[in-house]
Amino acid sequence: MLKTEELQINIGPQHPSTHGVFRLIATVDGETVVDLKPVFGYLHRNHEQLAEVSTYIQCMPYTDRLDYFNSMANNFALAVAVEKLAGIEVPERANYIRVLMAELTRIQNHAAAIGFLINDMGAWQTPLAFGMREREKILDLFEMASGARMMCNYFRFGGVWRDLPPEFMPELKQLMQGLPSFFDEFERLLRDNEILRVRSIGVGTLPREVALLYSVTGPLLRASGIAYDIRKAEPYSVYDQLDFDVPIGSVGDVYDRFLVRIEEMRQSYRIVQQVIERLPQTSGEHINPAFADIGKQKALRPPTGDAYGRVESPKGELGFYLVSDGSPRPYRYKVRAPSFINLTPLGDMCRGHKVADIVVILGSIDIVLGEVDR
Amino acid sequence: MTTEFERGHAYVVDRGEIQLRYGQGMAAGLGVIMRHFRDAFTKKLTNPSETSGMFTVQYPEERLTLPDAFRNFPILLYDDESGQELCTSCFQCERICPPQVIHITQEKDPNTGKPVPAAAEFLIEYDACMSCGLCAEVCPFEAIKMDHEFELSTDEHGGLTIDKAGLDRPVSYYEQIAPSFWAEARDNAYKKLQNAVKRRSGLIGIAPQVAEKLKATQVIEQPSVADEGQTTKDEGSTPADDKASRLAAIRARNAAKQAETNGTTDAAPQPTAPADDKAARLAAIRARNAARKTDANGVAEGAPQPTAPADDKAARLAAIRAANTAKKAAEEPRIERQEPAQAPQPADDKAARLAAIRAANAAKKVAQIEGDAHDHSPNGTNGTK
Repeated sequence: MLKTEELQINIGPQHPSTHGVFRLIATVDGETVVDLKPVFGYLHRNHEQLAEVSTYIQCMPYTDRLDYFNSMANNFALAVAVEKLAGIEVPERANYIRVLMAELTRIQNHAAAIGFLINDMGAWQTPLAFGMREREKILDLFEMASGARMMCNYFRFGGVWRDLPPEFMPELKQLMQGLPSFFDEFERLLRDNEILRVRSIGVGTLPREVALLYSVTGPLLRASGIAYDIRKAEPYSVYDQLDFDVPIGSVGDVYDRFLVRIEEMRQSYRIVQQVIERLPQTSGEHINPAFADIGKQKALRPPTGDAYGRVESPKGELGFYLVSDGSPRPYRYKVRAPSFINLTPLGDMCRGHKVADIVVILGSIDIVLGEVDR
Repeated sequence: MTTEFERGHAYVVDRGEIQLRYGQGMAAGLGVIMRHFRDAFTKKLTNPSETSGMFTVQYPEERLTLPDAFRNFPILLYDDESGQELCTSCFQCERICPPQVIHITQEKDPNTGKPVPAAAEFLIEYDACMSCGLCAEVCPFEAIKMDHEFELSTDEHGGLTIDKAGLDRPVSYYEQIAPSFWAEARDNAYKKLQNAVKRRSGLIGIAPQVAEKLKATQVIEQPSVADEGQTTKDEGSTPADDKASRLAAIRARNAAKQAETNGTTDAAPQPTAPADDKAARLAAIRARNAARKTDANGVAEGAPQPTAPADDKAARLAAIRAANTAKKAAEEPRIERQEPAQAPQPADDKAARLAAIRAANAAKKVAQIEGDAHDHSPNGTNGTK
C-alpha cells in the first residue's frame, strides 16, 4: 500500500471560480477532498454598523448592495421588517407590484445561477449567455420601473417608489410570451447532457438532516427534500392569495438543485401571470398615502421594540432583525443572509468528492459574496 | 413526500431517466447552440418575446434609449432664461444622502449677512455617490435631479468632485432627457422658484454659466458700476492710492502690449488689482503668458482673462478704456512699457524667466511713476474711493 500524505491547498481568495473574493482551504488526499474550510470576510463592508448610524430609509439603498443580483428581494425584506416594526399598512396595489418585482427577480437570479453552475462545470459561457440574455430583459424592466438595473432601490416603507410606468406592462407581457420556451429549452439543453449528469448526480449531496442542522434555506433546502418556503410557511405580502407550488428534490445533490431552480422559475412565472391579471383590479395606490412623501419616510421613528421581517429571497430566507429605541435610526440591525448560512455546509458537501467538484458544489449553492460578507 | 399548502402543494421534481445515450444528449444540446449561433448572426432580437437572435448592442456606436427613470448622478437645474437655480440650499439632500457626498454652503446677503435661499457652493463627490436617487426624491424644489450621462471616466481622482458650475444644467436639458418626470415636477418647481427669487438679489442664485454672461453684458451697460464693485472689493487690503496706481500700471502695460502687437482690435485688459507686493510679479507672469499666447497664435489675444468677454464689442470697449487710462496716466515710461512686450519670445524656459523678470521690473517702474503722477490724472477708477 502506497503511503499518501495529506496536502492543504488554497483556492482563492482571488480565483475565477469562487464567485467573488472568497477563499477555500481544502485538505486533499490525492484528488479526494478530506476536509474543506470556507474562509470569508474579504468583502466585509460594515453594512450592519453602517445601518445603525443611518436612518431607516437610508438603509434601503445599502440593501441593494447585499445580494446585488436580487436587489428587489433585499429591498422587500427590509421593507417588510420596517413595516412590521412601525406597523405600516401596505396598499394592495403596492403589494402586487412588490410581488411582481420579487418574482421577476427570482427568475433572473435562477437563470443566471444555473448559467453560472453550468459555467463552473466547464460549459464555458454559452449556456450562461442564454441565461444572461433573459436576465437582461428583466433588468431592462427593472430599469424602466426603478431607474437602475441592479441597484434598484425601488421599495419604500408602505409601498414602492413610483407606480409602474405605462410602457412597463406591454413590455412585460411580451417578455412573458417568450419565457416558457426559454425554460423548456434551457432545461432540455442541459438535462440530457451526459457531462452535466455525470458531474452533478450524486455530487455534493446534502442529506435533509444535515441541511436542517445547518439551518440551510432556499432552493438548497428544498432540493434536500424539505418543502419549506417562507411564502408558504409564513406568507407575507399577498403570497397567501396566489397559487403556486413548491418544487422539492429527493436526493439533495447538485442535479436536484439544478432541477429545483428550473421548476422555481416556472412557479415564479405562474405567479407573475396571476399578478398581471390582477394588477388592474387592485385597490389603492403604489404607496400608502401617509408615506407617499419621502419626508415621512425620512422622519420615520418606529416605536420602541423589535421585529424580524423575512422573505423568501431567491437564495433562501433573507431576514432583517431590527431593534428600535424610538429614534430615527435602528438601534440594532441584523441581516440573516441566506448566502452566508447556505455556505457553511460546504465542507460537509465536499468531503469525499474530487477537487474538481468543489467548484461545482460551490456553484450549486448559488452564493453572492456581497451578501456573505456584508 | 408531498405536502399540501393552502394554495398549491409541494411536488418532487422529476429527475428522469437518461433518454438519449452515447453522446446524443450532448449532440442535441449542440444543435440548440448551433441554432442560436446561426440566429446570432442572421436575426436581430427585436422584442422581449424572442429568445434567440442578436441581442447585444454595439456600444458606443449604437445606444439603447434610456428610460425616463434612469438615474446616474445628480445634477442641479436652473431656469433657462433667467439662469436662476432652483436650489434654495435647504439641505434636505445633504441630510438624506446615505454616503454623505453632498456638501452645500448657503449663500449670504453681502449687505446684511443674512442667509439667502440660494446655494453659494454645492459640491457632490461623484466618486463616492451610489446613485440611489434619494436626493432627487427628497428635494422639495425639484432642483436636484438624476442625470442620464454615464460616460464620466477621468484619470484624475479629484476631477470627480463636482462643483456648482459642473452640476448646473438648464431645465430644458432635463426636460429633454426625462420628459415625463419634468412634466410632473414643472408646476411645483416654478412656483417655488418664484418664491425663492423674491429673496435673491444681484447674481445670487444665478447659475455660474449664466452669471458670467450677465457680468459681461453688465460691463457694457453700466461700466462705472462694474468698476466700482471692483474697487470696493479690494479696498480692504491696500490703501486706495497705492492700489489705483498699480491698477493703472497694469492697464498701461496691457495697452502698450496691445499697441505693440496690433493696436486696438482685441485684448481686453483685466482690471484685477493685485492686493499686495506680489502685484508686480503677478503682472510679470501675466505679461509673459500674454506674450506666449501672442507668439503661439500670431494674433494678439490680449491679456489672459479668467472671464471671457461676452462679445467683441465688450472687449473692444474695455480695451479702449484701458488704452485711454494708460495714455492719460503714463506719458513717460514708454521705453519700459515696450520692454515686457518685446522681450518675451520664449524659445525656452530661460527666456521666459528672463522675460518675467524684465516685465516685473517694468511693472514696478511704471507703478512708481504712476504713483507720482496719478494725483493729476483723474480716471474713473480713482473717483470712487
